[in-house]
Amino acid sequence: MGFASSEPGVRAPLAVKILVAGGFGVGKTTLVGAVSEVAPLRTEEYLTHASIGVDDLEGVSGKSTTTVALDFGRITINSELVLYLFGTPGQERFWFMWNDLVNGAMGAVVLVDTRRLEVSFASIDFFESRGIPFVVGVNCFHGVRDRTQEEIRRALDLDPQVPLVLCDARDRAAGRDVLLALIDHLMAAHARTAAHPVS
Amino acid sequence: MKHWTEGFDDDDADEPLVRPYTITGGRTTPERDDLTLITLVTVISEAPADNGPGMRRLQPEHRTILALCKQPLAVAEIASALNLPVSVTKILIGDLIEAGHVRSRPPLAFAQAGGLPGMSILEAVRDGLRKL
Ligand SMILES: Nc1nc2c(ncn2[C@@H]2O[C@H](COP(=O)(O)OP(=O)(O)OP(=O)(O)O)[C@@H](O)[C@H]2O)c(=O)[nH]1
Ligand SMILES: [Mg+2]
Repeated sequence: MGFASSEPGVRAPLAVKILVAGGFGVGKTTLVGAVSEVAPLRTEEYLTHASIGVDDLEGVSGKSTTTVALDFGRITINSELVLYLFGTPGQERFWFMWNDLVNGAMGAVVLVDTRRLEVSFASIDFFESRGIPFVVGVNCFHGVRDRTQEEIRRALDLDPQVPLVLCDARDRAAGRDVLLALIDHLMAAHARTAAHPVS
Repeated sequence: MKHWTEGFDDDDADEPLVRPYTITGGRTTPERDDLTLITLVTVISEAPADNGPGMRRLQPEHRTILALCKQPLAVAEIASALNLPVSVTKILIGDLIEAGHVRSRPPLAFAQAGGLPGMSILEAVRDGLRKL
């Protein structure tokens, strides 16, 4: 298919990424784990390091030990393409990492919990303001469907073009379908761009 | 075999911020800023043997990276396997790139360019997901 690197001495596939975003406890890690081929991995970054840009040991000798953790999973698409899924919390303390998170991201799934829609507002704002394509996954905790899709859309002030998909974050097929909804959304955007190229 | 630091190991919770930087010789900022979380790192096939010249100054963590990256591995996966913060891991990978032991393959920068992934990539991802 031609995505693999052709450099001599190295055979590296191309890595792409989908972000799984949303507020605290909406099921991000659960969804990543449900579709990933490996148990979700965890990686850490120093909050202080990136946020204040220390450049010597004096700067880090204080008591500040805060790290932020990210969960991620992996789906090998084929020998030339690997898809990574990053669970990305919406809290502001993570925003220093978002440039790196967004880099190479095809788009995002924003998970919402209908009982606490507001915890995912920040994630939606972030992707909207940056023009990063996303779909909303409504994680149906305990099968609760206490609101209609229309009510959820209105509460989220969602652009009509943004797909909204019901899911159970614990279920592999449901998680896959949310990801497929994002791919369809990207393909539709592609078709629109091809028809009306942005000048 | 016991490492000489064993027994000196302090589990002082006040210090975890500094200790990983001893692995990097005190460096806290990656020299290269082109490594991303999903940059794929692969050992160059003609890299020198474990005890060959040029490998002596390497830390155990460097060697672990070389062993891990016989298969292409993302920076985030390497950091996770080493149990080190991403920024520290990037410094170590940078050393190995500098020394010519590994190559890195950056992701395509769709979102930052305000663009979309190519249709062939989207189709491949869709087909791969359908097989899940
Ligand atoms: N019943 C039910 N429980 C769920 C579902 N999705 C997630 N959970 C549970 O909800 C809790 C939170 O899920 P996580 O996947 O940890 O959520 P998260 O978004 O990663 O949380 P943070 O990383 O802490 O922000 C866990 O105890 C899950 O087992 C679901 O669809 N149904
Ligand atoms: Mg989580």
